[in-house]
Amino acid sequence: MSVFDKNIRWVILIILIFAAGVIKVVLRHAVGVDLEEAIGDAGISVLLMSLGSWGLLMAINAYPTRVGTQGYAFFMAVALAGITCLFDIGILKWWLGDNPLYRDWLAHTTLMRFFICLVCFGWIASLSAMQKKMAKIEADYQQHSDAETLHREAELFKLRQQLQPHFLYNSLNSINALIMIQPDKAQEMIGKLSDFLRSSVRREANEKIPITEELEYIEAYLSIETIRFGDRLQVEIKKDYTDDASIPPFLLQPVLENAIKFGLYGKTGTVKILLYIGYEDSMLEIHIVNPFDEHMRPPSGTGFGLEGIRRRLYLLYARADLLETLQEDGLFTTILKIPQ
Amino acid sequence: MYNVILIDDEPLARQLVKSLLQPYNQFNVVAECADGFDGFKMIQQHNPDLIFLDVQMPRVNGFEMLELLDNPPSVIFTTAFDEYALKAFEAHAIDYLLKPITRERFDKAIQKWLAQAASKQQPQLQELMQEKVYEGYQHRIVVKDNGLIRIIPANDIYYVEANDDYVKIVTKDGSFLKKSTLGHIEQSLDPQHFVRVHRSYLIPVSQLVRIEPYEKDSHIALLQCGAKVTVSKTGMTKLKSILGW
Repeated sequence: MSVFDKNIRWVILIILIFAAGVIKVVLRHAVGVDLEEAIGDAGISVLLMSLGSWGLLMAINAYPTRVGTQGYAFFMAVALAGITCLFDIGILKWWLGDNPLYRDWLAHTTLMRFFICLVCFGWIASLSAMQKKMAKIEADYQQHSDAETLHREAELFKLRQQLQPHFLYNSLNSINALIMIQPDKAQEMIGKLSDFLRSSVRREANEKIPITEELEYIEAYLSIETIRFGDRLQVEIKKDYTDDASIPPFLLQPVLENAIKFGLYGKTGTVKILLYIGYEDSMLEIHIVNPFDEHMRPPSGTGFGLEGIRRRLYLLYARADLLETLQEDGLFTTILKIPQ
Repeated sequence: MYNVILIDDEPLARQLVKSLLQPYNQFNVVAECADGFDGFKMIQQHNPDLIFLDVQMPRVNGFEMLELLDNPPSVIFTTAFDEYALKAFEAHAIDYLLKPITRERFDKAIQKWLAQAASKQQPQLQELMQEKVYEGYQHRIVVKDNGLIRIIPANDIYYVEANDDYVKIVTKDGSFLKKSTLGHIEQSLDPQHFVRVHRSYLIPVSQLVRIEPYEKDSHIALLQCGAKVTVSKTGMTKLKSILGW
């Protein structure tokens, strides 16, 4: 808001107060009160009402987060109207009370003065309460849309992760080789790669899906990896679950990719990966076992890449104990638990 | 006749290069390796004219393998790596092939190499090694130890000392020499953990026990392993900023 806007507001306010004063003088004079007394009476009343309005706004602003602001505002309006009237009557009696005619008129108009004050304050209170509500709605909306944007970005990030350019380029390179030596196999691999990509693009990142669907996706992924690495990679899947089990999507594949990477990159020769899916204490329990060389450290910054999975599980279930890893006898086991 | 070695962990990727090489009868593939460890052995055994090298490989990766060779052969990288690494290759005019490899691009690389071989020009490989071509910091250093490859986890390092053309890496299992510069080692390790405290010393902050004044403008750092290393004035400033004194 510019300074100009603010000044205009003040000017309007002063004109309004002045106009109220003039109207009061005219009204009082019209019912037979002396002009001098009418001016004094109107002046005091308008001054006190202005002070009262100011106090009311201060009181409402002092508790911006107060529960039930509307009720609070109304209570303040009634209380301030009463106080303003008491002061009004008191001061006027003390100042202009010498004239019995005026005193009589003052006594007659007490109730009306109170109601005028109440209407005026009530109007100010409800207006400012409404304004606050509007501001809150706007802030809520802003927060909501911020959250939505963040959520969408996260989803896009996940998708990008899912598409994994490395995986894609290496697979295309394998297809390139197969075209020359085994065209049939090349066609097969293109089909599998398409299946894999299609299901990664189509899926919603945040809804749970049946485990059978996730397994189809995993199998498409594994069949590509098996073609890429030839006889070196063997994957065994053991299933021991009912078909109604569900799992958040995109959770299993990165873990498997890790297992394959560290299995293959830590050793030469055949690498056997075991994927077991079963039930334990009403949780879906998934074990992924890969061999690894204890003397080899993973190269730069990979850190086994499981932190992302741990974080996602924590965000989904608010539990930090759903991912475990074990290392023994040259085998690395990742255990995932999915509450059902 | 030129001897060629193919180093890639994916059999189909090696197959592709072999197929693409078929029309050139002056090339003879003498060995195929699936990791840098094997690659290192085969290069020493066959002394090839040209190698096709993948970067991401089991056990020892492509860059680590090259670092270990005293006289590395000409290299054509075959990689699915991102632009960041590619920029490093380009800057040094070393040829690279981006996966998926196409016939057209492959032929170009071969012609380029043939032209270089004819003029006896060797690509400046050593120069590449001085640059930071890895993404992120290394958590290990690969050294040669009696003709074998040894992988030193960064956590096991007591300190690194400059030693003419070599660096001496002191660890709990003894000390190892590597043909490199302290600056290169410093660049590849995480600067939050490793501090160059002196022209000749790089130390892990976690090894620090005590620092005592020595001469004017210099200090002596006592390490957990019992060694004492000199800390220069600039080294002291770096330590202070990392340790938050």
